[in-house]
Amino acid sequence: MKHWFLPSFLFGLLAGAWLLPAPAAQAAGLDRAGLVQDLCGDAGAMGRAGAALTATAATGSDDERAWAAPLARAAIDRKLACDAAGAVLTEGGLDALTRAPREAQGTPRSPLLSLKNRPVYELADAAFALRGAPDAGRRAAALRTLERRPALIPEGLLDMAAEAEGDAGLKAQIEALAQTAALNAADPAARIRALSRVADNRSRRALTQVTALAQDPAYASNPEFRAAVDAATARIERGIAIGDALATLYNGLSFASILFMAAIGLAIIFGLMGVINLAQGELIMIGAYVTFMVQQGLRHAAPALLDWYLILAIPAAFLVTAAIGIALEALLLRHLYRRPLMSLLATWAVSLFLVNLVRVVFGTQNLQFETPFYVSGGVPVIGDFIFTWNRMFAIAFAAVTLALTWLVVRKTPLGLNIRAVTQNRDMAACIGIPTRRVDMMAFGLGSGLAGLAGLALSPIYSVNPQMGQNFIIDSFMVVVLGGVGTIAGTVVAALGIGQINVLIEPLWGAVAAKVIVLLMIIGFLQWRPEGLFAVKGRRK
Amino acid sequence: MTPVSRDRPFLALVAILVIVAVAMPLLAGTPFALSRYLANAIGQLASFAVLALALDLIWGYLGILSLGHGLFFAMGGYVMAMYLLKHSFVVTGTVPDFLQFMGWKDFPFYWAGFDFFPYALAVAVAVTLLVSGVFGYVSFRSRVGGVYFAIITQALVYVAMLLMFRNDTGFGGNNGMTGFSVLFGWPMGTSGMITALSVVSLLVLASVLLGCRLLVGSRFGALMLATRDDETRLRTLGYETLRLKLIVWCLSALIAMVAGMLYVPQVGIINPRLLSPELSLEIAVWVAIGGRGHLVGAVIGALLVNAVKFWLSFAAPEVWPFILSGLIVLVVLVFPNGLIDLAKLKLVRPMGARRMAAELEEAR
Repeated sequence: MKHWFLPSFLFGLLAGAWLLPAPAAQAAGLDRAGLVQDLCGDAGAMGRAGAALTATAATGSDDERAWAAPLARAAIDRKLACDAAGAVLTEGGLDALTRAPREAQGTPRSPLLSLKNRPVYELADAAFALRGAPDAGRRAAALRTLERRPALIPEGLLDMAAEAEGDAGLKAQIEALAQTAALNAADPAARIRALSRVADNRSRRALTQVTALAQDPAYASNPEFRAAVDAATARIERGIAIGDALATLYNGLSFASILFMAAIGLAIIFGLMGVINLAQGELIMIGAYVTFMVQQGLRHAAPALLDWYLILAIPAAFLVTAAIGIALEALLLRHLYRRPLMSLLATWAVSLFLVNLVRVVFGTQNLQFETPFYVSGGVPVIGDFIFTWNRMFAIAFAAVTLALTWLVVRKTPLGLNIRAVTQNRDMAACIGIPTRRVDMMAFGLGSGLAGLAGLALSPIYSVNPQMGQNFIIDSFMVVVLGGVGTIAGTVVAALGIGQINVLIEPLWGAVAAKVIVLLMIIGFLQWRPEGLFAVKGRRK
Repeated sequence: MTPVSRDRPFLALVAILVIVAVAMPLLAGTPFALSRYLANAIGQLASFAVLALALDLIWGYLGILSLGHGLFFAMGGYVMAMYLLKHSFVVTGTVPDFLQFMGWKDFPFYWAGFDFFPYALAVAVAVTLLVSGVFGYVSFRSRVGGVYFAIITQALVYVAMLLMFRNDTGFGGNNGMTGFSVLFGWPMGTSGMITALSVVSLLVLASVLLGCRLLVGSRFGALMLATRDDETRLRTLGYETLRLKLIVWCLSALIAMVAGMLYVPQVGIINPRLLSPELSLEIAVWVAIGGRGHLVGAVIGALLVNAVKFWLSFAAPEVWPFILSGLIVLVVLVFPNGLIDLAKLKLVRPMGARRMAAELEEAR
């Protein structure tokens, strides 16, 4: 059915390539005297002159453009005086043709542009300005004028302007306009060429541009053009679909990384002591605030290192939150291990205290973070999917944290003790493991991990005293779903909840995503009340 | 457990509640009359005390901590607000703000009939029983308990808050509902109405207190305590605890709902902040401070904490969170049984033999 599309499309490309040099050959030399005469003529003659000016802007030599540019401007401003000997540019008093100084003779006439001719001259003026104006602001203004009438822009003008353009942002705009203009060009071959170029950039904007062409008269009359439009549409749509899928996966992965960072500390502490630390969210917040203070310190002490504050803050964020966690354990939770429900209230009191302390000290406003080069921008991949570095930072950070946590729990004596106490506290105590010391160290570890989560969050989310509460309930759900005290469970649960949230959000909204995730977890607990990766043993 | 007739703290508290309830209307118009603000505050405190009783029933006597009781409180509150708005609309013709805000011409279809109070009450009871019943059944059936249950209930109330923050649900969205002008045909906001609401709240509190006291003193109450102290043993003896837990859980939810229905006409507004996890946690704090597992303690805890909160909200609002967190830590570390310890002057040192005794008694 569609097999003839591709060959004809290719043929179109070839034909286009062969035709390409043709327009340049037409403008061999400009009839300057004729142009000046037309400028002083009737509306029809002035229209011809306007078209000639526009063509000169596109294909004329540097010399010709420099000569013709003032004419377009003068005609618009009525600064052109026509007399018996030709015409004079009244601004500066120069002859229009020779550019020798002279006064207008007799009673000169200033021709008035007709309503129909005015846009033509404005276009010509903008075209000259785009190619010749030294000031980037004027070139940008000229580009905006041209954007209003893409169909009238002479072919080649924008390509040449883009080539000469020094400003990168402006250059991209000119190229975008060139594509639009080429899509609306009169020559079908040029349009087909433009189509394939537009389709290379598989974004929604390109799709709107291309689908609009289906309403074009050429779409119905020219089968070759129609095939090219259909092919381009299909190609862009495929690209967008792939891009959307990738973007969803990527966003889900980055959300899952944050969830994992927030939940891993909770999971270790809960597995070990049966205590849910409601202040975990506030430890995340404090991690972010420590990161901020490191940034401010660097700003004053070593501005050269400012860009590296996210890396330099890692030990600070970990140690400060770990110290708070150890203090919390030693002063408060130590006395509550036999009363886990009371420890919920106690940790909530701590969270209340920390939120309000930070609020009093720093205020409630969002903190301003620098964006270092390694977390700014991104690489556009396909469709609307941009591989952003700030999300990648969070993902990489979570991956490194996961690896280190795994090493600590699996390969160090502390980790061995933590696992032993998690499995059977009494037996571990019997064989001489100092369980209370292990509790304290593990609490420090879990709290330090929360501090690192805060650091990883600071380039992505707004940092304020309330921020901890946005993550805490999601990370509880990760712990409940993953099962207590298993790193693998936390990873899988974080990935699952992160992806489900991101998948549902565009369909029914963020609130529905949360409702559905909660219902799924409640349903899941019917099947496995101890979570995904429960440690096998007697149910308590 | 001491028989009701000899439970002196309980009898004293019921007597005080009834005396205040009777005295308030009698003193109206005399120089001893309470100010409108004070009368209103007493009514609100009473509805909070009812809420605390609801939580104490399930936490203190069954050992199940719910951090989501704000959900049932808000259910009662929202239904009451719907009744008040619809009733005000029928009587005075004022269109509620949230309808105008959303640009809706008419009430959503599910508001039909809410101007008829018995229907609204029936809906509140039905919805509360449905939600608490289904949630309780699936949780207790899979033996989700302890900290797990606490954080899942917290997630439940959080999700409900997010849902109610949406403006298109037809329940007022983030602005909530306000502008209640008529209750049972009488105008709201008059001194008489404020006193009446206060008296009703006090009487409801007294009767809920009495009802709970009779329940926990009965054979059923003994089973509740047995479930709390050693559920496995009770099950091993052949007793099915699922039904018992479910019944108490639903009853507790209903009491919280009643508290919500009393609360909303007195504050004159309802918004999704009632569903914030913080409020639900605070309820547990009232009970813990008053002494969980003691009905009188729960009431006194709720009254005391909220009275201090009301007062500080005017005097020094930024200090309140610090005081609250300090109170919690104090109660948790020094007075494990709340103010009841203070009443018995049984000061327990944080570490040591006497503390172990206190823990044993708590686990009684």
